[in-house]
Amino acid sequence: MTSTAQPQKPLLSHLATGAPPLLLLIVVALLPAVGLGHNTIRLLFVTLIWVATSVAWNLLGGFAGQVSFGFAVFYGLGAYITAMSFNAGANRLAAILLGSCVASLAALLVGLPTFRLRGPYFAIATIGVSEAVRVVMTNLAVTGGASGYRIMEKGAFNQLLHFYAALSLAAVAVGISMLVRYSKFGLALIAIREDQEAASDLGVNPYRSKLQAHALGAALTAAAGGVYVGYAAFIYPQGVFGFDISVAILLMPIIGGVGTVWGPVIGAVVYGLVHEELIASFPEFHLLLYGSLLILIILFEPAGVMGMLQKLSRFVRRRSSLGSHS
Amino acid sequence: MSTTDVLNLVVSAILLAGVYAAMSVGMTIIYGVMKIVNLAHAGFLMLGAYFVYELYTQLHIDPLLGVLLAFPVFYFVGIALHWLMIRRIPRSDQPTLTSLLLLFGLWLVIQNLGYLVWGSADRAILTPKTFSTIQIGPIIFPTVRLVVFGAAVVSLVALEFVLHRTWFGRAVRALMQNSDAGRIVGVNVDRTARVAFGVGIAFAGVAGGLLSMMYSFTPDFGGSFLLRAFVIIVLGGLESFSGVAIGALILALVETFSILVIPSGYQPAISFSLLVLALVLLPNGVAGLWNRRQRLT
Repeated sequence: MTSTAQPQKPLLSHLATGAPPLLLLIVVALLPAVGLGHNTIRLLFVTLIWVATSVAWNLLGGFAGQVSFGFAVFYGLGAYITAMSFNAGANRLAAILLGSCVASLAALLVGLPTFRLRGPYFAIATIGVSEAVRVVMTNLAVTGGASGYRIMEKGAFNQLLHFYAALSLAAVAVGISMLVRYSKFGLALIAIREDQEAASDLGVNPYRSKLQAHALGAALTAAAGGVYVGYAAFIYPQGVFGFDISVAILLMPIIGGVGTVWGPVIGAVVYGLVHEELIASFPEFHLLLYGSLLILIILFEPAGVMGMLQKLSRFVRRRSSLGSHS
Repeated sequence: MSTTDVLNLVVSAILLAGVYAAMSVGMTIIYGVMKIVNLAHAGFLMLGAYFVYELYTQLHIDPLLGVLLAFPVFYFVGIALHWLMIRRIPRSDQPTLTSLLLLFGLWLVIQNLGYLVWGSADRAILTPKTFSTIQIGPIIFPTVRLVVFGAAVVSLVALEFVLHRTWFGRAVRALMQNSDAGRIVGVNVDRTARVAFGVGIAFAGVAGGLLSMMYSFTPDFGGSFLLRAFVIIVLGGLESFSGVAIGALILALVETFSILVIPSGYQPAISFSLLVLALVLLPNGVAGLWNRRQRLT
């Protein structure tokens, strides 16, 4: 009996880790059938876009510990390239994939000179890249410069199509994040975060791993931009390349818990649901609030919501074990 | 272009380099001692500008005196911030996720507090001296730039003196070269870090005040200067004070002369291109090049 039970265990544990996310996916996929309003579905769509970008940032920022302040560059690149190739007659999916490819190339371009060096070069360069790209995009004539760019939609607008596109993207992003977390590649990234010298002594190539994680994150972020532009139909540099997009993309994983699979998802959901309310009621303070939130989380709960949940579950377990003794 | 024009451009580049050096030196000292990239630097540049502006418009204090007053005020702001936040983050010999995000959050807070208090309207400090010029031979000096350059040089010379003649300065230089060795020979790391952070912030405030005499400003003021400061300290090799001076001169020359060939809309992209070039060609900065040659001989 024991001999048959032994090989079954990994399969069961795989099912155990795989089942809740699948269940969650099915529940979210069925949500529009409940008869939610147009506006609620739009909010869900935006939140799913945020989930994809937040998970994408976490691949490099969370697992490998490399802070990027410039993920808006990939988001904007994805949005613009998808929109332009769509207008040129490309298939929707092909347009998004093209955007991802270009963003990955851009990510390699930023990473090549900066990841080779030890020190803060990468983080510094990402601030510069986002600044420079925004300047170029506001002056570029092909894309309409600062006045923006419009998608020429051929068919009728179908909100659910965009909703399911965003849902599939978020699912793919979380799937990739889970795969990375438990693969050799993910372990290499975490090793780099903890101690780069030790990692490279053990045969990890920090330079290559960081480049790969950056390119992967960029591709996912660009896809999110591509899906978003299909819905929004109109984009402008200050919107998709904006500083507050970069802030949002790094804030979400921090809220949820960096370096975990589900932290960035939780963070994105919190951010997605709260952000619109905040924008509506405090149009001028929202960045002030986000900055304060960032400081408070870093100082008091660096593990984010996931850290708080862990503490809570430990507390509950201790209470219940105390209760059974008495 | 005549030689007089070239001469005029070179002179204005040198005058600009003085302020740029004063602007970047605060980041260098904080990075050198604590290995923290002060992303909030831009915020303090902006606060420095508004500090001098408020003193001038409310109390009619001369901007130059305002800059002088900014030093102690921002020094204590820096000390307070160090006590409140910076000392709580884990010490490391390279910039961490924690320190980068903390100071980034601080920048967001300062910048948006600025918007809250002063709004987004452009401000400028206009004194009777603002538009006057001094002419020496064929070269025309704007008076303000000359004054600002003088003040920047005086502050840098004072810092150089402190670094080489005082116990604090020796401690700073020891920690920059090798923090473990510094600790072994008895440098009080916490105290030195606190004072260094204060001095770094004080220089940011002073530089902001100096810049406010030359340019108009909004609460977003520091952003473009932050990138310039990065370029300068990367060109200078991150941890060298003489490198900062060379980096500032290079950036000022490139910016001044690029006006002739690059459309003004693309100007902000220049400092970034220079940053990439520096990273690819001179990863250890101009000073690194110098050091390597010295070691070889």
